[in-house]
Amino acid sequence: MDSLQKAIAALHEADAEAARRSTGDRMHPAARLVVCGGFLAATMSFGKYDLSGVLGMSLYLIVTAVWEDISLRKGFWRLKYLLLPLLLLCAANLLYDRYVVFCIGSLPVTGGMLSAAVLLAKGTFTMYAAYFLILSMGIDRLCMTFRRMGAPEGMVTVLLLTYRYLIVLLKETQRMVQAYALRSAGKKGVHMSAWGSFAGMLLLRSMDRAGDVYDSMLLRGYNGAFPCEEGQKRAGKGRNILYAAVWLGVFLILRSVPVFHLVGGLLCGQI
Amino acid sequence: MNAVEIKHLTFSYDGGKEVLSDLQFSVGRAESVGLIGANGAGKSTLLKILVGLLTGYKGLVEVGGLSVEKKHLRQVRAKTGYVFQDSESQLFLSTVYEDVAFGPRNYGYRAEEVERRVIGALRQVHIESLQDRLIYRMSGGEKKLASIATILSLTPKIVLLDEPSVALDPRNRKNLIQVIREIESTKIIASHDLDMIWDTCERTIFLSEGRIVKDGRTEEILTDEKLLAGNGLELPLSLSRRGGVLRH
Amino acid sequence: MHMADALMTPAVAGTMYACSGAAMAYSIKKVREMEQPDKIPVMGVMGAFVFAAQMINFSIPGTGSSGHLCGGLLVSAVLGPEAGFLTMAGVLLIQCLLFADGGLLALGANLWNMAFYGCFIGGLLIWKTVVRKGVTKKRIVAASIAGAVFSLQLGALSVTLETLASGITALPFGIFLSVMQPIHLAIGFVEGVITAAVLVFVYEMRPSLLWGYEDAKQETGLTAGNRRVGKSGRLTLKQTAGTLAAAAFVIGGLFSLAASAEPDGLEWSLEKVAGSAELTASGDIYEAASGLQETAAVLPDYGFRGNGSAAGTSFSGIVGGIAVIAVCTGGCYVLRFFRRKGKDGQSAESHSRSA
Repeated sequence: MDSLQKAIAALHEADAEAARRSTGDRMHPAARLVVCGGFLAATMSFGKYDLSGVLGMSLYLIVTAVWEDISLRKGFWRLKYLLLPLLLLCAANLLYDRYVVFCIGSLPVTGGMLSAAVLLAKGTFTMYAAYFLILSMGIDRLCMTFRRMGAPEGMVTVLLLTYRYLIVLLKETQRMVQAYALRSAGKKGVHMSAWGSFAGMLLLRSMDRAGDVYDSMLLRGYNGAFPCEEGQKRAGKGRNILYAAVWLGVFLILRSVPVFHLVGGLLCGQI
Repeated sequence: MNAVEIKHLTFSYDGGKEVLSDLQFSVGRAESVGLIGANGAGKSTLLKILVGLLTGYKGLVEVGGLSVEKKHLRQVRAKTGYVFQDSESQLFLSTVYEDVAFGPRNYGYRAEEVERRVIGALRQVHIESLQDRLIYRMSGGEKKLASIATILSLTPKIVLLDEPSVALDPRNRKNLIQVIREIESTKIIASHDLDMIWDTCERTIFLSEGRIVKDGRTEEILTDEKLLAGNGLELPLSLSRRGGVLRH
Repeated sequence: MHMADALMTPAVAGTMYACSGAAMAYSIKKVREMEQPDKIPVMGVMGAFVFAAQMINFSIPGTGSSGHLCGGLLVSAVLGPEAGFLTMAGVLLIQCLLFADGGLLALGANLWNMAFYGCFIGGLLIWKTVVRKGVTKKRIVAASIAGAVFSLQLGALSVTLETLASGITALPFGIFLSVMQPIHLAIGFVEGVITAAVLVFVYEMRPSLLWGYEDAKQETGLTAGNRRVGKSGRLTLKQTAGTLAAAAFVIGGLFSLAASAEPDGLEWSLEKVAGSAELTASGDIYEAASGLQETAAVLPDYGFRGNGSAAGTSFSGIVGGIAVIAVCTGGCYVLRFFRRKGKDGQSAESHSRSA
């Protein structure tokens, strides 16, 4: 099935990118987490018609993409999961909000158009922010960061294990689906008669595997606590704080001052 | 003191049919023992009893002079290293380094010591260059070697391997055999890859339906065509080919 | 049904984080109390399983389309609701980070909409109640379908309310709801049937894996001969009341948040649903909620409609935008160029030193 193959490919790619980047990344994951959270909160908090405000937030994305050499094009496919609900809501807004706000020349711009544009911009920007976050550290380091920030041990372990076995089980599922498809005479999906056994077998095997994993952990001294360390050298504390503070400051300015508007007014006034 | 001492060992799952009946043998220090038998002969069960993963057996099981029971489990497990048949289950962290370091970290070694052990173990199985590799990007052979490294990093006195050569291509298999031969600890290898047993073990214990049918020198057992065939196994390929050539 | 960040305001997202956070803290406490160290790896592997299994397309006879299974309910029926909830939390976080399926700040809402309802309403209340007197195939089917339908209905309702409360859509409440609920009724039914099929299979192959199986067996006087423990205890009044209260509280809160964001849209439907007496009550909640909104730090401002002052998207805004972005991008490229040069110089230096 296509979606499985795509998911596997996506995982591989994200992993490879994260591995490549995180070895060179001297920023502390916590600083990145804070900046990402600040960006999301600021972006989400713009009003439903505040298009120029939301567009202002793209500064962070563009600067980060250029500075850290991230391809925006590569991550674009990730938008597809968001697109359907976003487009539906956009359509609803276009339909229900026809109040003309202003005109560009003779073209009337309605509230619905503005709010739909804002929605799309917010959707794209927030998606990219999460993408940048995961590219810069990968799930592994993110988990360690959670750990150090005081997240409960068990939860982090569950997360790490889920991530570790994700590819294994996706591949296993893909093999099963392929084997099934080869014998199903071209019919799409899993037939009703095999609904239970198909996923059920996978479930039983997963449980057995979980048992083995636990045994393997036990035999290597696991006693309920998952050890984790990170050897990587980081930039000094000051640099990380500076990084986070500068970006949070920028977000605050972008959020509270109509920067685009002001600069534009300045330029237009001069020209 | 023997590395492993077993007397009148009987075991069954949940009170069902006996999987092991009245086993009796001992394994000396630094000995390398092959545990052979057809599927379902009880090889894996025996290995799991040795490390205390299966409990509720009858008889005496001692590893490194300690009886395998709850109060000694931690010490017993510190002395033994068990390599699972399925590397995917053994390696549950995402990179080789992290996984090999899991054991030493659990035993509370300091960071430098952990690193020393990890590098040492990886060197022992010749994959020190793979330490930052993501596990799921590794081949079956590499995963097997990494699995062995995960237990070598704890410097076990006794190494137990469950079907180590399953699903490996010839070159990886050959490499694995070399690695196993270089491990100096006591080794017990459960397998029905008789060629590998031939290359790695001087002594063989032959299990069939939970009983020891023969315990002796590997050459003696693996060349006994009648004995093997009578218990669901066949001559090692290398031998049967040699035999075939002789016959012609 | 994953909520995207774009559909929410920080205030609503934060509220939902708080709710899910509470459910998580409770679950972690409960799982710890169970003292089953093997539960952790099982949860991890099951998380990966749910992820993979949700990608299997089960073809629905006679429709040409396909359905998926209900993850929250399924894991709860195997691991119990608390461990199930934590497992789903892991799954949802990975989905949102690696596949952009659901937003990072919307994660709290997604956890609530899918994992809480699936695990606690579907798993704890419905599954547990139905199989209390012994597990049979019929009961598994009934519990799965009821569980999936109820949890999806609640989930869909919450999505609607969260979206409305965030004030990002002009869609009237009534229409939004009348689209969301019937669709999710159908989806819930299909998910329930698929989940039932899987659970029936597990029941036939290894019944002891099912949560509550051992207890039900003990209660009905059969002997327990299986190894795996299903210590789940009986469904207490406290649990039932707690779960229902949590769900009611959150939905009620969302209602009032939605009301505060879209007072016009909600008015008529509230009049229909409740009497005018309730309306004054909800008015109080509304006051409180808007008070809460005012005190929260980052809040959207909807005072735009009709007043031109905030119409930032005028010509000058566009010109300004282009200018600012161009300058910043250019600046970045220049800086990066120098940084690279510096690095190359450094590495060349260290190279020659080491040589």
